[in-house]
Amino acid sequence: MSEYKVSRRYALSLLESAVDKKIVDAVYADMGLIASALGTSKELTHVLASPIIRPNVKLTILEEIFNLKVKPETIAFLKFLIEKNRENLLENIALIFLDLKDEQDGIVSVEVKAPESFTVDQLEKFKSNLEKTLSKKVRLNLIIDSDIIGGFVAKVGDTVFDASLKHQLELLKKQLLKGGASLN
Amino acid sequence: MAEVRPDEISAILRKQLSGFESEVDIYDVGTVLQVGDGIARVYGLSKVMTGELIEFPNEVFGMVLNLEEDSVGCVLFGESTLVKEGDTVKRTKRVASMPVGDQMLGRVINPLGIPIDGKGPINTDKVLPIERKALGVIQRQPVKEPIQTGIKAIDGMIPIGRGQRELIIGDRQTGKTAVAIDTIINQKYTHTEEAKKLGITPVYCIYVAIGQKSSTVVQVVSKLQELGAMDYTTVVSASASEPAPLQYIAPYSGATLGEHFRDNGKHALVVYDDLSKQAAAYRELSLLLRRPPGREAYPGDVFYLHSRLLERASKLSEDLGGGSLTALPIIETQQGDVSAYIPTNVISITDGQIYLESNLFNAGVRPAINVGISVSRVGGNAQIKAMKKVAGSLKLDLAQYRELEAFAKFGSDLDKSTQKTLARGARLVELLKQGQYSPLPVEKQVVSIFLGTNGLLDDVPVHELKRFEREIHDYIEVNYANVYESIKKEKQLNDTAMSEIKKAAQEMLATFKSGV
Repeated sequence: MSEYKVSRRYALSLLESAVDKKIVDAVYADMGLIASALGTSKELTHVLASPIIRPNVKLTILEEIFNLKVKPETIAFLKFLIEKNRENLLENIALIFLDLKDEQDGIVSVEVKAPESFTVDQLEKFKSNLEKTLSKKVRLNLIIDSDIIGGFVAKVGDTVFDASLKHQLELLKKQLLKGGASLN
Repeated sequence: MAEVRPDEISAILRKQLSGFESEVDIYDVGTVLQVGDGIARVYGLSKVMTGELIEFPNEVFGMVLNLEEDSVGCVLFGESTLVKEGDTVKRTKRVASMPVGDQMLGRVINPLGIPIDGKGPINTDKVLPIERKALGVIQRQPVKEPIQTGIKAIDGMIPIGRGQRELIIGDRQTGKTAVAIDTIINQKYTHTEEAKKLGITPVYCIYVAIGQKSSTVVQVVSKLQELGAMDYTTVVSASASEPAPLQYIAPYSGATLGEHFRDNGKHALVVYDDLSKQAAAYRELSLLLRRPPGREAYPGDVFYLHSRLLERASKLSEDLGGGSLTALPIIETQQGDVSAYIPTNVISITDGQIYLESNLFNAGVRPAINVGISVSRVGGNAQIKAMKKVAGSLKLDLAQYRELEAFAKFGSDLDKSTQKTLARGARLVELLKQGQYSPLPVEKQVVSIFLGTNGLLDDVPVHELKRFEREIHDYIEVNYANVYESIKKEKQLNDTAMSEIKKAAQEMLATFKSGV
């Protein structure tokens, strides 16, 4: 449970120092890259978490992977993490950094489920409508899910805006059962 | 043969569907991280409240107990096998609550207010939260009306008032439940027309069974039904097979139901049978939620667990209708050890306690009440005047008897006054014995205790005392009926009544002696 606290603290200081150096957008991109690299490669996560591998070896590995792709400041941060023996939290830190940056910019990422893909026009309309209701900038992440039959399900943080046919059918079922309709 | 026309069906369906709105449904969700032992850890649910009811898949409900930095700890009210890791959890946006209403009377329900007696759904129109804050000072008034238990030893020496909290404590198999059930049965009188005329208001009863065998609960319910006590009683049952969270909330739902009666200006009596099992259930789920254990592995807030429950018992002020909620918590001790954690806690919270002892029980003194150490701190104000008058010397006589009891084996070597005290004491002990399910109305109790404390029974052999008592009650009822009437109406024992009882006793004694 304390992992979350620690990761948040590292992410926050990284964000603050990046703001000071005015390289926020570059670091944001770097963190996105690191998070996706760690998310896709299990081996890399294992290597970072392993206590058997020496810190300098870990650093060499990370440098080799990211050297030319990220800013020198990001490499310095990785070095710092390894020095502090917190390299196992790298993925968490990267994800929290992305969240913090989004929060700072007033951007929310919305996961939208729909039975079929939208046209570009529809997507734009949908996005602007969402932005109006949430009064925040929206980053859409569209998932095609035919299970919901029709309509859409938008998830913003923990809140779900459910306008799917499937959910409405479930509600209808509940209401019919509760109504206790009888023929007498 | 009855026929169902298709257009009839479609009409009903149309009616049902007319209120259905298909708008965007907005709800908050979380994801199950971990589940097991009736506990679930949930990620998300960012705005959830403590005590809020949350909905898992498969109609399993849970209650939020722990709000942590990055997860929410909750207890499940259903099968934990139906919930899996990664399931979506929905907020209901209301704290755990239950339906309440007069329709609950005569029913057996679970702690969430769902009937479990197979008599169909209960249609109530009110829902109250299970955890409610106890009333403050302004809303209350002192306890002043009696609640008659129908047990001579209790009504005489340890009187209980409406709005009081009186603990029943003792080892297993000492008749704790029997005392409580007898009290419930004795409330039947308060629902009669006669009581109404005398200004006695009805008392509604709630029996909360926590962690008991289902067979025991069935037994209690059938006994109450048989004696006609179920008409004004609700049984809340969280039996031993129920998950710990349900056992934990059971007394609170009982209190909520009682408060419904209290807040409507009526009187209610709740029996919590028993709180030691509830504390054990709470310990179980606290440990599973990783709250730090304290003494006897109970969590730190186990005192608050019981104090907030028992504090809800109260006598409302006249402005608020003057209703009351009386609580009879039961605690089971191990080998008579009242200095264990839970017994000491509950003793200090309640307004008195009734001790039941197994050696008294085995010696045939039933109810096995140890009157020496049982007390009632507020009930004295609630006792009717007649009872106060006759029972005044009862406790003293018994105390003197116990002091000299050890000398009883010396028999005739003792001096006259000691012998007299011993004889009186033996008769008083015999007088206070009473069978189960046979509560005695207060006017008869007054007469019995009057006879005992005034030495009118000293000439009756101890083994014949029960018969004598029974017969003199009948004798007075037939020949001096106004004795009972005057006690009932005036709640006083006036001089004429006293002399009449004495006269009756002498007449009865004469015929009784010749009969023996």
